[in-house]
Amino acid sequence: MDLKATALLKLIYLEMFGHDMSWASFHVLEVMSSPKYQQKRVGYLAAVQSFRPDTEVLMLATNLLKKDISSPLPPTMSLPLVTLPHIITSSLALSLLSDLLPRLSHSNPNIRKKTIAALYRLALVYPDTLRSAWPKIKDILMNEEEDSSVTAAVVNVVCELGWRRPRDFLALAPRLFDLLVDGGNNWMAIKIIKLFATLTPLEPRLIKKLLPPLTNLIRTTPAMSLLYECINGVIQGGILEGTEGAREGEEIASLCVGKLRGMIAVEGDPNLKYVALLAFNRIVASHPHLVSMHEDVIMGCVDDPDISIRLQALGLGAGMVNSDNLIAVVERLLQQLRNAPVTTEVADDGRRHSIGVEPAADSDGEDPEERLRPTAEPQDDTPALPAEYRVTIIRHILEMCSKDTYANVVDFEWYIDTLVQLVRLVPAADQAGSEFQGDNAWDLSQEEDVASAIGWELRNIAVRVSTVRTEAVKAANTLLSVSGNDTMAPGGQRVLAFAAWVVGEYFNSSALSYAALDSLIHPKAQTLSPIVICAYLQAIPKVLISAISHESPIWGPERKTMISLLVARVIHFLEPLTTHPNLEVQERSVEFLELMRVTLQAIASHDVQNPDGPLLLTRAIPQLFTGFELNPVAPAAQRKVPLPSDLSLDTPINSDLTGILQRADQDFAGDTEAAEFDTFYNQRPIKKAISGPAIDSLPSLEPETSSYQQNDYTLSDSDALVRKRIQRRERNRDDPFYIGNDDASSGTSTPFHDVLRSTNGEDVDVDSIPIMNLDLGDQALVAESSDKDLRKQKRKRPKKVHITKDETIDNEASGFDETQRAPASELASQQRARDKAKKSLLQVDSSGLSSFSLNSSDTPASQLDIERQEAQDMEMAKALAEVERLRLEMQRASERIQATDGTPAEGILVKKKKKLKLKHPVGESQHQDETGVQAGSTQGLQDAEAAPVIKKEKKKRKPAMPDTNNEKVGGID
Amino acid sequence: MINAVLVFNNSGQPRLTKFYTQLDTSVQQRLISEIFTLVSHRPASACNFLPLPPLLASPSPTPPGGQPHADTPSLITYRHYATLYFILISTSTESPLALLDLIQVFVEALDRLFENVCELDLIFNFETLHACLGEMVVGGVVVETGLEKVVGGVREKGRVRMRREVQGMGMGGLGMGVGVEGLAGIGRGWR
Repeated sequence: MDLKATALLKLIYLEMFGHDMSWASFHVLEVMSSPKYQQKRVGYLAAVQSFRPDTEVLMLATNLLKKDISSPLPPTMSLPLVTLPHIITSSLALSLLSDLLPRLSHSNPNIRKKTIAALYRLALVYPDTLRSAWPKIKDILMNEEEDSSVTAAVVNVVCELGWRRPRDFLALAPRLFDLLVDGGNNWMAIKIIKLFATLTPLEPRLIKKLLPPLTNLIRTTPAMSLLYECINGVIQGGILEGTEGAREGEEIASLCVGKLRGMIAVEGDPNLKYVALLAFNRIVASHPHLVSMHEDVIMGCVDDPDISIRLQALGLGAGMVNSDNLIAVVERLLQQLRNAPVTTEVADDGRRHSIGVEPAADSDGEDPEERLRPTAEPQDDTPALPAEYRVTIIRHILEMCSKDTYANVVDFEWYIDTLVQLVRLVPAADQAGSEFQGDNAWDLSQEEDVASAIGWELRNIAVRVSTVRTEAVKAANTLLSVSGNDTMAPGGQRVLAFAAWVVGEYFNSSALSYAALDSLIHPKAQTLSPIVICAYLQAIPKVLISAISHESPIWGPERKTMISLLVARVIHFLEPLTTHPNLEVQERSVEFLELMRVTLQAIASHDVQNPDGPLLLTRAIPQLFTGFELNPVAPAAQRKVPLPSDLSLDTPINSDLTGILQRADQDFAGDTEAAEFDTFYNQRPIKKAISGPAIDSLPSLEPETSSYQQNDYTLSDSDALVRKRIQRRERNRDDPFYIGNDDASSGTSTPFHDVLRSTNGEDVDVDSIPIMNLDLGDQALVAESSDKDLRKQKRKRPKKVHITKDETIDNEASGFDETQRAPASELASQQRARDKAKKSLLQVDSSGLSSFSLNSSDTPASQLDIERQEAQDMEMAKALAEVERLRLEMQRASERIQATDGTPAEGILVKKKKKLKLKHPVGESQHQDETGVQAGSTQGLQDAEAAPVIKKEKKKRKPAMPDTNNEKVGGID
Repeated sequence: MINAVLVFNNSGQPRLTKFYTQLDTSVQQRLISEIFTLVSHRPASACNFLPLPPLLASPSPTPPGGQPHADTPSLITYRHYATLYFILISTSTESPLALLDLIQVFVEALDRLFENVCELDLIFNFETLHACLGEMVVGGVVVETGLEKVVGGVREKGRVRMRREVQGMGMGGLGMGVGVEGLAGIGRGWR
């Protein structure tokens, strides 16, 4: 046995290095049951380190644990107490509870406090523990003769329980208050303050009581940790809000902020700096003015060598900016980005840059630091900013500027310039990551990517702020032309998609058409990522048209050759893209290629003497891309468009549609693919000119589906689906208001559009209706708010900038609320679901506890509840009896194995291994289902027969779940 | 509460791992190496709080400005003593500065127990190391912060340990064996 214990000790050590020792769990149990304390201790240690929720031998340990808990020797007794929290499962908790409770009144304080801690963990997996244990724990807390360390332990546990169900602990407040005032134990005081911070929102009267001792503590305590926690408690407990306006409220607020400033500026200890920033971060949400008074120290922290401190300061920066300090703050951050060497660059790069420090950004501590870094840690790569940090800075800059629809930005030219600079600073690693996700993650990766976030801002500015649109287009144009020369940061590719859109959409405002077109059809563009190429493809014809229409309108031979040359170049660019691996790129390039070919034909066949130029070029194609100006529309606005009374979604648009389709199929059955292509693409522009209803063009469209889309859709789809798709595609093509794929809103309105068109006739332009309505509904609001903006801006600067707000319909408050709330709650539930699915690794699941009330008299539990509880208990008891039976069987079986100990150990081992392997997936899936400690219904895994037991338990748990969630939300928030 | 206590040396070899929730061994190792990479790149002048490693950070992105859920580990506190890093992973219900003190108490207690503690002591007596931690933290809840009481609590069983010091020679030999084996498994020489 000694040998075994020694071997086990070695195993534990190896386990620490990552070697699996789950195969030895039976031996662990053997050593645990050794009568010798030293061996027992090794065994328990092994159990702590190696047992997992799916460890099967745990079942066999129950009796052993029971025995050891009631052992007469304190050391032996404390072994299971320390071990239990690691291996506890709800069934184990149930059977051990009765043995643990007497230990609360053990004569040894050591045992008492460990028992309390163990009971806490028991309560997490088996909330009923508290029903019987709580009165005793409370007694211990109330008992003033009690050993101080035991009281401290109780306070710790109560604090842990406290935030889960603060209401139940209000009754303890007087005693806790006494402990706080004359406890003398800093650790305990910290915990009590933490607990009070969760209690005060429930009991406003506490604030008054707490204020004097807290102020006193803040003024006098020498312990920094206690000081910090006091301030933290004041902030978190809502004491600042609670005493708003009162004299002592202001006093304590300024006292706190002053102390925090002292922690940052005077002490020089990075830890204090960090926690002080943390506290500032909590204040900033409610009292930004208090924080911005200390802007100087905080901005000093942004340049701190420590990344953690920087990040905190950065987050703080976003909260405290206003229109006065925005430019300074952002410039400073930009400076930092520029100066810090990229990880791959040489270290003294930073010094070279710091010569050109702009006066605006130059402030205390920046330059000496730059000089210090390369010398201080030449080998270490800490001075180089990691890519994630760079990304965070960029995101924060964007967030700061775009806050409240650019309320803080007064100079948009500066902002556009900043955006262009940011693109150059995007780290390369980020691009690699987003590139990796491939094209099936289009929308997702767009949000993730910083470069596209910048692009999004650029586009947003171009759309919303019409006065700087020219600037935005110029900036976008620069970006595009830079990309051709390869001088751009490798990470910024994604921004090009947005730049291309801006250039294409708003090109009328610039005269550099040819240059822009050049950079768009630069051969290098073909190697860009598919999403960028798509935007390019969409922008090319727009730019082409605007380039052509800006010329003198007189048509002559000279102009004819020039334009045909241009078109030929575009065709040359498009041709290789028709075989692009990405479907989207392929489709668009094929469409535009054919359009361009038709244009070329039209130009060639056009009479040189005619001064008007070909109709296709001057009228038809421009009409594709011009229409109503795009306005920003709030995401929820679409939903608020009132339903027209005569709208009927059930009436078929054409009752004989299938017939038409069939006829069409027959008509074109014999044609070759090329012919279909030609007829389709040749007919289309003509149709555009006459612009007939969508339904008329259906037959001629049919070939399209049987051509290049064939292998994807036609074969598998039903008639109806095909029909819908054709309609949608055709409508988009015919629709003069359809602009590229970038604009999601035009795509989403289609079902509407369809039906309305059929009912109202072709003349009504349905697409524009929502926009008109939106304008009307929101007029007052927009005017008012923009007025405010304007006034503010007038004060600052003479230039007026009008920022277009999101358009939305405000029918009335109630309707608005409803629509707002619905998605919010949806989101919340999704969030909750996600939370449950992906809980953090080390998280302890306590959801069961939050629904549990400590003393049933405290919370009005209805008779029904109690009955249900009893029924559950009964069921649980039944399940447990079953489990017990199985356990005994197992035990007997193992005893039998032991009895025939003559068999070599390997034989048993192999069998166990097999079993383990088989069961692992089961265990894991269960682990994910229930997560954490709760997943511990391991007993079921040991035998196939036990499966029903698990089922039962799960079933029982399920009905409780929604309850707990509600409780949680209500209780904690 | 405290979610995990880790001790590893300057080259990332674990000397003590204690997780207060049950985790797979491989996950534990990944977490340790992630934290080690974070911690080893920090200059001595930096503050003692770590950003969350990817393994912990990814599942639950905390909304900016909002309080993280009190059950999720959100705080990593570390301290560096000579060749060893002491790491505490905890939820937001613990006070960061108090945790720093806790590490200090832990190290001081070890120092008392071993009389001028060094990394070797922890390797050869890692059972005592666990016992000491067990006196201070039970199931993630801090039960004792008084130095005297912690040391006393371990000594109470330490008598047992001393008693075994007789066969303790064998124990020392075992320790050496373990040390060599463990390190050989990692493929690093012992220094």
